[in-house]
Amino acid sequence: MIDFAQNTIDGIMIGSSYGLLALGFTLIFGVMRRLNLSFGPSIMVGAYLGTLLYLNFAAGPIAVAAVTVLGAVLAGIYVERLCFAPMAAGAGIASMVSSFAIWMQLEQAAILLLPRHTYPFPSLTTGAPLTLGPFQLRADHLIMLACALGLSAGLQLLLYRSRFGLALRAIIGNPVAAHLVGINVRTAVLGAFAVASAIGGIAGYLVLATDQQITPMFGMWATIKGLIAMMIGGLGSIPGAILGGLVLGCLEAHSQSYFGPQIRDLSAYILLFVCLVLRPGGLLGEAPTRETIDRRRA
Amino acid sequence: MLDVSNLVTAYGKIEALKGVSLRVESGRITCLLGPNGAGKTTLMMTIAAILKPRRGSIRLAGTELIGLTPAQVVAQGVALVPENRLVFPQMSARENLLAGAYQRRDKVAIAADIERMYNCFPRLRERSEQLAGTLSGGEQQMLAVARALMSRPRLLLMDEPSLGLAPLVVAEIFDILAKLNRDGTTIFLVEQNAHMALKVAHQFFLMEQGRVTFQGTPGELAEDEVIQRAYLGTRRGAG
Repeated sequence: MIDFAQNTIDGIMIGSSYGLLALGFTLIFGVMRRLNLSFGPSIMVGAYLGTLLYLNFAAGPIAVAAVTVLGAVLAGIYVERLCFAPMAAGAGIASMVSSFAIWMQLEQAAILLLPRHTYPFPSLTTGAPLTLGPFQLRADHLIMLACALGLSAGLQLLLYRSRFGLALRAIIGNPVAAHLVGINVRTAVLGAFAVASAIGGIAGYLVLATDQQITPMFGMWATIKGLIAMMIGGLGSIPGAILGGLVLGCLEAHSQSYFGPQIRDLSAYILLFVCLVLRPGGLLGEAPTRETIDRRRA
Repeated sequence: MLDVSNLVTAYGKIEALKGVSLRVESGRITCLLGPNGAGKTTLMMTIAAILKPRRGSIRLAGTELIGLTPAQVVAQGVALVPENRLVFPQMSARENLLAGAYQRRDKVAIAADIERMYNCFPRLRERSEQLAGTLSGGEQQMLAVARALMSRPRLLLMDEPSLGLAPLVVAEIFDILAKLNRDGTTIFLVEQNAHMALKVAHQFFLMEQGRVTFQGTPGELAEDEVIQRAYLGTRRGAG
């Protein structure tokens, strides 16, 4: 019983980082109605720049975090300019395929930048985990959870209380009508990519600071975790992204504890499969009806 | 106010507009008639810069609109109420109006304009906090008109405001158009419902297969036998 509760706690903590990745994913998907497979790799670019700063100048956690987030934002803008801005409406597949190409490009760039497989990443906190009765809580996990809740609330505020948010929701609702009311859609979309990448950068930093190491596989890892959490929670839903992340995190923690690390990743794909069969729209997303599919195609 | 000349817009190799020229006079209601597929919506979308033309020019009070982005066209004082309304379904009616005023920064005047819209369209006041996607077709049409007016346009473009609406609602929409026009807004209207258009419009154009094939006043339109048969249906006894 205590194991079960401890696994759930660990799951919620790591799941909150999945939730943050899903949050970035869902913002881009909501605005573009297109998948950005380069989302994870662009976070990795930021993280590699952070590592580089740490290795060469022994930079502290704040500087590494700032460079990671800034690098992720710049890489995100680069992806938008190359894969999304030039593609005409209706060419969603072209964007997705080209974002895959950029994924490969960014991964190779990272390997060229730091050729060894594994590099250290500075941790955010030191010291023993907090103990709470029979349970252990890691401080960096608590920071992760706080960031997930804080950033999702912040994103909700941005979308529903600001002029920029009004523009993004208009684009999500109907891109043609957004043009017609005088919204500069290209600028707003670029802004959405920047915000999503910043959230992804924060998530990436927190995960890597917890793991204290980085490999070129991190880009793929971030894309897959974010994508699965988004699909489970519901495409385009902010609370859904966080919920999807927490569900995924808990499932992984339990299956690792009961069945071992190999089953951990497998369980994530099984959950995705079951979810897509039973609730294709995700836990909190709209089920894809005729109308929503037509709207997405438009 | 609006001068369109030799406008050509194509989808791939198919030219939907094959050299359209027409003029919308300031302070008037101008109506564009024509069958399905004549290119009426293409013309509206080209003026609003959603579609890029191959050739020709679109001048608003002397300023060339071709080459501008849709947002810049709105800034020039043109607002389009699109075919099928295209309200933002997941936003409340009030937020749709706020989105219509997106380029304006004067919060006090925007609030006053929303109030003005509610006075003009009392149904929208009742539906203020309701999601636009849940409104009836007529209410969505009124919302789309009000949303366009929130940018305070000099020229209001309307693409088939009567589409799919009950006759009573259509009459209500046309009353509002006439009132807006009396208050000084120039209106360029695409319509298949020639009977309603005849009651309010000052000038008519007929478009067929991407070309303007007739222009004239309501009197000239009513006298033209071909148009009567095709658009007013008098010879079939349906009028």
